[in-house]
Amino acid sequence: MLRSDARWVRWATYALSALGGAVLWELGGRGASPAIFSPFSASMERLVEMLRTGELGAGLAGSLALFFAGLGLALVTALPFGLLLARAPLVRAAVSDAILLLYAMPMVALIPFILSLMGVDFGAKVIVVFLFCFFPILYNTVEGARSIKPELIEVARAFRSSEWAIWRDIMVPGAFPYAMTGVRQAIGRGLVGMVAAEFFLSASGIGQLIMTSARNFDTAGLFATVLIIALLGSALMALGRALEDRFTLWRGGGR
Amino acid sequence: MPRIAVRGAGKRYGELQVFRGLDLSVGQREIVALVGPSGCGKTTFLRCLDGLIPMSEGEIVVDGKPINGPLPRTAMVFQHFGLLPWKTVRGNVAYGLDLAGASKAEIRERVPHFIQLVGLAGFEDAYPYQLSGGMQQRCGLARALAVEPDLLLMDEPFASVDAQTREILQFELLRIWRMRPTSMIFVTHSIEEAVLMGDRVIVLKGRPSGVAEIVEVDLPRPRTRATLASPRFAQLREHVWNILMDEARRAEFELER
Repeated sequence: MLRSDARWVRWATYALSALGGAVLWELGGRGASPAIFSPFSASMERLVEMLRTGELGAGLAGSLALFFAGLGLALVTALPFGLLLARAPLVRAAVSDAILLLYAMPMVALIPFILSLMGVDFGAKVIVVFLFCFFPILYNTVEGARSIKPELIEVARAFRSSEWAIWRDIMVPGAFPYAMTGVRQAIGRGLVGMVAAEFFLSASGIGQLIMTSARNFDTAGLFATVLIIALLGSALMALGRALEDRFTLWRGGGR
Repeated sequence: MPRIAVRGAGKRYGELQVFRGLDLSVGQREIVALVGPSGCGKTTFLRCLDGLIPMSEGEIVVDGKPINGPLPRTAMVFQHFGLLPWKTVRGNVAYGLDLAGASKAEIRERVPHFIQLVGLAGFEDAYPYQLSGGMQQRCGLARALAVEPDLLLMDEPFASVDAQTREILQFELLRIWRMRPTSMIFVTHSIEEAVLMGDRVIVLKGRPSGVAEIVEVDLPRPRTRATLASPRFAQLREHVWNILMDEARRAEFELER
């Protein structure tokens, strides 16, 4: 019997699964009208072409700039704010319901409002991505900081820790695993926000590529671009997971 | 002259007076055990002493000088161990030193020594989740000792480990204390433990609680397992038990507030 923990077995499984997906895509594409769906081979051909002409590279660069500006802004605001809320119970009580509400709300609903408030330029789009990213990070950071045992704060005070050292030694490392869960959620949501902003505010980047392809009945280009977004999303999520694991060895794998 | 003297200590939470009129003195290299039924405020008293919570009344005098605020050169060992789960044994033992402003070189030099002292050599890189309760408390003890305190505050340190480990740790603590004697206040609800550890046992009882009796423990040091079997030990244990008996019986049938 094959042992599922052998490395080559795992890689073979991945390869077979990817191959199976490609075959299904190919067969489905050949059976359907080219105006609706395009086979795997044609999509790959178009992908290579879009890479060569540089339109995919340029689109991707524009979209990534937007994505990372929004995500970065969310990171530098939501993380400190979340930790601050954890150390200030009264403020937390005042705003926690609002945070939950906004965390649960589909941010797409706010896009018309952003449009009328901020217009359609890069800054407005960054705000859209920011809004998609901000609440998952904030919500999870607050949860993480709340999960820190009060005993540890007492220990810190018994060892005459300064407030700053309490943050460094206890609040930040204690909230970190939860915050990283929030960051991984934010990556997924931020990609949605990125494409939504490029669709609804002003066409640019990957969003524009998708819309142009659709308008020109270039289904191969459309699916090539969608595939790239999907790969990008998974790569970023995997990066988030790897970072989280690297810094949470102390939890011993049990979660 | 006692190194640390507490006079008329009291703690009130609104209407609830936890303890009142508590006098206590600890000499150089002396172990004072504080025993009383659960809920008598002995842990609260320890936290007041350490300055973690303010005392409602009373004063603390150290080396003849009255003290306002936290006691200097004091370290605490907790019932819940209180190790930082994201730090290794080495990191946890270094924690207090780092906060006390020790240099990196100093920390590198002193931490292994204290890890060795509590018998954790070889486990420097282990995280708390990998350690048994007994080992976690050894680590907690090393963390407290590493700052070289003049006064050790022990807050029911062995109450959350199993009975055998508890006995092992009691004699480990006595061994370590012989090697580097400090003043110690040892809070426990175990009468045996109080008599075994203390030069004096302060028995708390009443509502609000106060000092019922101060029992001088004239058992010779070093104290070993043989101490537990000596007739004098049994006598002292019975004596303390008799002071607390009525209270303990009543406490057993009391509903939670």
